Amino acid sequence: MNQVRCPTCQAPMSFQARSEWPDFPFCSLKCRRVDLNRWFKESYRVGGDESPSEKDLPAEDDS
Amino acid sequence: MSQEVESPKENEYGSANVQILRDADHIRRRPGVYIGDTGVNGLHHCVYEIVYNSVDEALAGFCKSIQVHIYVDGSISIKDDGRGIPVEIHPQAGKPTLEVVMTTVGAGAKFDKGSYKVSAGLHGMGAKAVTALSVWLEAEVRRGGRTYVMEFERGKATTQVKDIGASTTTGTRIKFKPDHEIFKNLTFCFDTIEERLRELAFLNSGIAFSLTDDRNAKSENFCYTGGLGEFVKYLNRNQEVIHQPIFLARQMDDVKVECALQYTREDEERVRCYANNAYNPVGGTHLSGFRAGLTRTLGSYGEKNGFFKNARPVGEDFRTGVTAVVSVHHPEPQFESQNKIRLLNADVEATVASAVSELLGKYLEENPKEAKVILEMAANAAEAREAASKARKAIRDRKNILSSGGLPGKLFDCTTRKRDESELFLVEGDSAGGSAEAGRDRMYQAVLPLRGKPLNVEKARLENLLANTEICSLISAIGVDIGNQLDYAAVKESLRYNKIIIMTDADVDGQHIRTLLLTFFYRQMAQLVEHGHIHVARPPLYKVVYKKQVRYVSSIPEMQRELLDRGLENTTLEVLPPSGSKAQRLTLSSERLKTLLQISTRLEDSLQTLEKRGLALVDLLNRSLQGALPVFRVRLSGAENWFFNLEEVDAFRKEEEKKAGKEFVAGDEDQAAAAPSAIPHELIIVQELHEIREINAALTELAAFSLLPSDLISPVRLAGREPEPRLILVHGEQTKNLQHLRDLSFEIRRIGEKGMTITRFKGLGEMDPGELWETTLDPEKRILMQIRLDDAFKADEMFRTLMGEKVEPRRDFINKYALQVKDIDYHGA
Repeated sequence: MNQVRCPTCQAPMSFQARSEWPDFPFCSLKCRRVDLNRWFKESYRVGGDESPSEKDLPAEDDS
Repeated sequence: MSQEVESPKENEYGSANVQILRDADHIRRRPGVYIGDTGVNGLHHCVYEIVYNSVDEALAGFCKSIQVHIYVDGSISIKDDGRGIPVEIHPQAGKPTLEVVMTTVGAGAKFDKGSYKVSAGLHGMGAKAVTALSVWLEAEVRRGGRTYVMEFERGKATTQVKDIGASTTTGTRIKFKPDHEIFKNLTFCFDTIEERLRELAFLNSGIAFSLTDDRNAKSENFCYTGGLGEFVKYLNRNQEVIHQPIFLARQMDDVKVECALQYTREDEERVRCYANNAYNPVGGTHLSGFRAGLTRTLGSYGEKNGFFKNARPVGEDFRTGVTAVVSVHHPEPQFESQNKIRLLNADVEATVASAVSELLGKYLEENPKEAKVILEMAANAAEAREAASKARKAIRDRKNILSSGGLPGKLFDCTTRKRDESELFLVEGDSAGGSAEAGRDRMYQAVLPLRGKPLNVEKARLENLLANTEICSLISAIGVDIGNQLDYAAVKESLRYNKIIIMTDADVDGQHIRTLLLTFFYRQMAQLVEHGHIHVARPPLYKVVYKKQVRYVSSIPEMQRELLDRGLENTTLEVLPPSGSKAQRLTLSSERLKTLLQISTRLEDSLQTLEKRGLALVDLLNRSLQGALPVFRVRLSGAENWFFNLEEVDAFRKEEEKKAGKEFVAGDEDQAAAAPSAIPHELIIVQELHEIREINAALTELAAFSLLPSDLISPVRLAGREPEPRLILVHGEQTKNLQHLRDLSFEIRRIGEKGMTITRFKGLGEMDPGELWETTLDPEKRILMQIRLDDAFKADEMFRTLMGEKVEPRRDFINKYALQVKDIDYHGA
């Protein structure tokens, strides 16, 4: 499997037992909440044409 | 010395002594006022007070090393290499300065700003408090080439200053044993002292500290030259940091401000504040100044550079994850309580705030990469804070809904209370939801119609998202708390359905909705995925009616396979000799035709790859030799040359280099993608086309069927005459002339279709309730795909890719997809 990264902050995650990883697949409760908030705020969108314009990219990843 | 002469002085001594006794008495009666408490903290505080005096000597520039030594009898010594406390008679007190320093409250060099610019000690109280609280204390001073000793007991001198010999060094060594009448616990803790000394070593670059413990032969040395930046690094040694420490320093009038900060992925703020080297656990004006500066600077930088699109951070968000050390040196520090828990000087706040604002602002402008990660941390923290309150609200709302017996308005619930049997269908679209509602077994099947919210934001942009209301009804219908992530028993208790089945259309929108839902489950309800509660329905793609019998076929490959199988039955292929040839006509049986079909299907993939490269098969056929196509494409000087093997390529290169009189530069395939005219003249690009190797292999196999490379393309019409057919499919009475071999599969399927009516469903909405039950709802007949964690992980990956979180991989993904899948079939997962 590829390197697992926290879906929110992209921090690389080392393997840990699921029972010791309450916020799987996130690195922290904070990142879980950020994600949840984005669902509530309808920030997650899929589709669109092949060249998304900059403003459609999630804020944390415009590198 | 006569009594007469000495008597006035004796009086003076006397009154001074009374004062000393009163002071010592006061300290011993109320030690808390001086050293905080009489517990472990107070005990260690005594050590620090002496150490501070040495540090002050170092800050004044006269001391380089400070050694702390714990002895087996429970006493401790602090030794420095400073100037040594003067032993001469103090002009005002009329006693040795050493004695004044060690015993007289309100006396000492610390009150004279001239001696020490800044000072950490208890304003000249420290040494007196330690003397008063020690059962014995020994002060040894090396100064002016001599060594002096003076002894004290419980706050008062018991000896004169004694000259005990010569000395080649200078310095002060204070050794004492804390008084058991004062302290409950007399044991010095190595680790505690170590921590404090290390801290002082960080705060005071260059001073060498050592700590030795005779009780267990331990010793440590600390000397740091990296300043506060190194300190912060040390504090973060077990954290994941996101940038190098930032160091800010400024001197404003008499006040020196130093500050180092570094962000980690932790949630807490960790700021350690020091005023004149003294740790202020509660903070004070330097802390509030630091925070104000941080908020102001990061706030305006983030605002200006557009980091706060998702949420507006407030002060606490900027402090999330920060580790910082703030150290100020002030000529007249004012503290709350004698043990300095808080710095009170009001002017410090503005000084620190403006230093941080200005210097950090400059840093951010100069280091945009670091600025970005820091600002993203703050923006995330703000989002998390917002999310936390929303999640609480969502859960509260859900509880309200549940307690009032209500469920989302759109949910068609089932009647059974047995959760082990119940199923929830998440159906895309209201109309399919209606069909599912009508077609279901309402005893145990519930239906929640979900509308993807297609957004036509710009021209040619169609996006899908799950609306807030859909997420909320999803959560409340399923009944699981989002907060709980580990206690599966509790999840199972609140889960309202055993199976959650995602049912979406077999088109792009449907796939998007499915991806969104799977991603949501994977991220926020991972336990449901882990324990196999999440499923994806596979509604059929085709409805097939044959002799009034209705059947459903679920995928494109399955449909094609079936058509081919039917088409091959009793079908033969006649291979006619090429015109002018005397070869025999060949008849391929159904069985051999099947083999031929497999070869030509493989061949077709390679041919399509070739076409995607923009190469025309007919051109390559013109270059073919002995039934094989050339495999190497060599581009040089804007011309394309083809070769069958590397030897030919080498020979060509050598020949051309000879002609040109120079060596060519080997180019790579990326450069080959450029238009031929764009290739620089001296560049030679050799490319092996692997699909042509595969085509050649297939051509060899085809030869066994008497088929020629030219059978892959339409024959050339000569003078308007219909060319002689080469390939004729025969099925009973029917015959079909093939233009070329590539039509074979299509024509066999055409034969297979005979007598059948095939309808392709474009969406679930095209099925009536009966059909939906028949194909997708009925547990006896339906196909469910159980989603495992691994699948959800892939969904998440696909989701990220589709979301365009990174533009490049997304392109790759689409290209990969386009290259491999001809007709997008989302059911083929």
